[in-house]
Amino acid sequence: MSDFKLNVRNINDIHVVDIKGYLDAHTAPDLESAFSKLLDDKKFKIVVNCKNLNYISSAGLGVFMMFIEEVRKNSGDIKLSNLTPKVYNVFDLLGFPLLYDITQEETDAVKKFGA
Amino acid sequence: MKKAFLLLTSAGLLVLVFIGDLIRRSLDIEMGWLGVIRDVLLIVAFVLFYLLIESMWKREQSPVKKLGFGLVLSIVIGIAMLVLSFIPNSDFDIKGYSLIPLGFDVVVLANILGIVVGALMIIIFLSVRDIILSKRRKGTRRNFLLLTALLLVTSLTSFAAEPLDTSILTSILFALTITAMLMNAFRLSWIVYLTKREKMFTMLFGFILFCIFIGFDIMLLSSSMVGKSLLFYSPPLKSFCSSISVFSTIYFGMTFLSTLFHLPTAEAFDRKMTEVTSLHNLSRLVTQVFDFNELVESVTRMTLDVVQAKSSWLEIIKESSTRTISLSGIHDNNIETVGLKNISHSEVTEIVSANGSSLRDTVLQTRKALVIDDVENDKRTEHLSDIKHKIGSLVIVPLQSHDNFIGILYATKDIAYGFDKDDVDVITAFADQATIAIDNSRLIEKSLERERLLREMMVAQEMQKKLLPQILPDFKEVEIEALSTPAFEVGGDYYDYTMLDEHHLGIIVGDVSGKGVSAAFYMAEMKGIFQSLSKIYRSPKEFLIKAHAALAETIDKRWFISVIYIVLDLRTGKLQVARAGHCPMLYIAENNVRFVQPKGLGLGMGSPDFFALTLAEEEIQMQPGDVAVLFTDGITEARQSSGEEFGYDPLLEIGKTVRNNNAIEIRDAIITAVDTHMGHQPPEDDLTLVVLKWRKPSTIL
Repeated sequence: MSDFKLNVRNINDIHVVDIKGYLDAHTAPDLESAFSKLLDDKKFKIVVNCKNLNYISSAGLGVFMMFIEEVRKNSGDIKLSNLTPKVYNVFDLLGFPLLYDITQEETDAVKKFGA
Repeated sequence: MKKAFLLLTSAGLLVLVFIGDLIRRSLDIEMGWLGVIRDVLLIVAFVLFYLLIESMWKREQSPVKKLGFGLVLSIVIGIAMLVLSFIPNSDFDIKGYSLIPLGFDVVVLANILGIVVGALMIIIFLSVRDIILSKRRKGTRRNFLLLTALLLVTSLTSFAAEPLDTSILTSILFALTITAMLMNAFRLSWIVYLTKREKMFTMLFGFILFCIFIGFDIMLLSSSMVGKSLLFYSPPLKSFCSSISVFSTIYFGMTFLSTLFHLPTAEAFDRKMTEVTSLHNLSRLVTQVFDFNELVESVTRMTLDVVQAKSSWLEIIKESSTRTISLSGIHDNNIETVGLKNISHSEVTEIVSANGSSLRDTVLQTRKALVIDDVENDKRTEHLSDIKHKIGSLVIVPLQSHDNFIGILYATKDIAYGFDKDDVDVITAFADQATIAIDNSRLIEKSLERERLLREMMVAQEMQKKLLPQILPDFKEVEIEALSTPAFEVGGDYYDYTMLDEHHLGIIVGDVSGKGVSAAFYMAEMKGIFQSLSKIYRSPKEFLIKAHAALAETIDKRWFISVIYIVLDLRTGKLQVARAGHCPMLYIAENNVRFVQPKGLGLGMGSPDFFALTLAEEEIQMQPGDVAVLFTDGITEARQSSGEEFGYDPLLEIGKTVRNNNAIEIRDAIITAVDTHMGHQPPEDDLTLVVLKWRKPSTIL
């Protein structure tokens, strides 16, 4: 039932991860391995486009928590964009907007890296 | 002790006879009844000697080793006999039926020859006995005993007779003995079970022994020096030795011929034997499948044995979470190369890369073994460079059970056209066995894993249940109702209360991210923190800051606990709320139903400083009849089969209608609405609800 898809593309040195579907305990490892790979390849400028993300559970949120510290240590960031109101609410409850850079549009996030 | 006795006695008797012979020669006396005693002494001596040899005899040795032993012994003694027979200058004089030695040297020679040849023949006889009896069939033992009996009887008929006096009885018995010898000479089935190498040796040994024993036969003829000496020494012994020698000649001759005829099929027989053993071992392996790695190692090791391959390895298709793997789904990522034998990972990679994957695809599509007879010149393997020279031929066999592919077995030989049809058949049969073993191993692993998870879940569920308050407090100022239902897979919902002092009630509702034992563990930690720190740090904000600091040290980066914490002053109805990443509080006041959501990160998120900085606290003055509802996301995320979540709005709607109801009615109204929304779906997550209602002054007595 839980369907999750993930795609990584890059805009210059910024890597955009499109995530789609349900991000829960079953699918979180997929995102985790995608992040691990980016970090292994020393790619620390990451934008996660959540346009098609329908649901995120605490396990899904945990994945972001796992990597943010290391990414920032390497003067990179994980930015989130295009969150649907419902998903935003989940992030908001946990206080993600306080910890993460969340933008309306992907282009805004990309621009912020450029600056 | 016994051996020493046997040795000394027999040696003593032989020496006695020797001395007697010397005396007889020097005094030139007639033997008469002394001759009978001499024969008896000799027979006893040899029987004792036989018992000595028998007591030191090793029966377990293989026939080939026995042959080798007999060969060495025969050569040594044969040479010794030849040399000895040329030493004496004198001879025997024939007088009637008796032999008269002409010099002392022949007496000495006769004694030495008699002892040595007698001993040799006893040993040879025992060797041949063991060889014949090593593979018994019906009658083997009986025939051999018959032969032995005839040999002994024939020998004894010449007891106390003159050396050259042969009776008719002896001749008849000798003929019977020969018949028995022939019967026994065909007991050669042990040859079949020898390996090719052993057969080569057996053939060689058999031939040499055959020749040596022909030599013995000739030397033992009555007219030769050796024959005469033996005859003089003891006619029964001479008869016995001749018979053994003749029998050995026949038997070794047969051994040689039989091995010669078996030699062409020796290799095939060897191979069949290995195949049978390997298949047998593998079928035993099917029951020993608890260690998967060991199993795959055994499979490739046996592949080497079963077809005499040079190298072998196995590709195991990893099981994905989606049960069946379609053909197209099999690619490098979910294939694991294991059990490499005589080949390195890089060489395997070279073989299966690029065109190699097309080899694999061919096997998977045809579901049949693929044989490349000549790797160097085959188009399908032209992508190989260096390794091409190492591999002559290649076999690729799919491991499949029903419609599932489990893996692919590879075997190589260093010569081209190394795998004939038999090899391919065997390796295919072998692959089927391996499939069953691997399949079973996986099933066992899976059911063990499931069992383990189930037990873990039960422990966690039990833990979680015990962490929640068993009874709720009863106050005159405030009504409290709570409900917490764990989902089947243990979640991490937690709620608890404590009296901070006489007048302050603290209530916490939380949700540990994740599930299972670790969730229950963090929950227990949370309970400890709550029960201890809440009494020291009175304001909700202060408490949460300290709780975060305590947790941040131990909690895994990806884990967090969301909590909402309220402190109610029972005298005034003053309600303080702080929230750490948790669902907001539903507050139902007269004409105003709202969510109270002060800012705050989940516990375990962010540095302690940042956490403290961003945490906010709100204060509400409860009015009589006001209701505060704390809940977890199990309520708002309760899903319909269509996936639609319950959400927050229905809570607000319910809030508008229930303000005049008591706490238990409000709790049930919300639970009923959630249940109705879910239909008959079982809840996916824990669901926790705590309802507080500040009583109207009129109800306070």
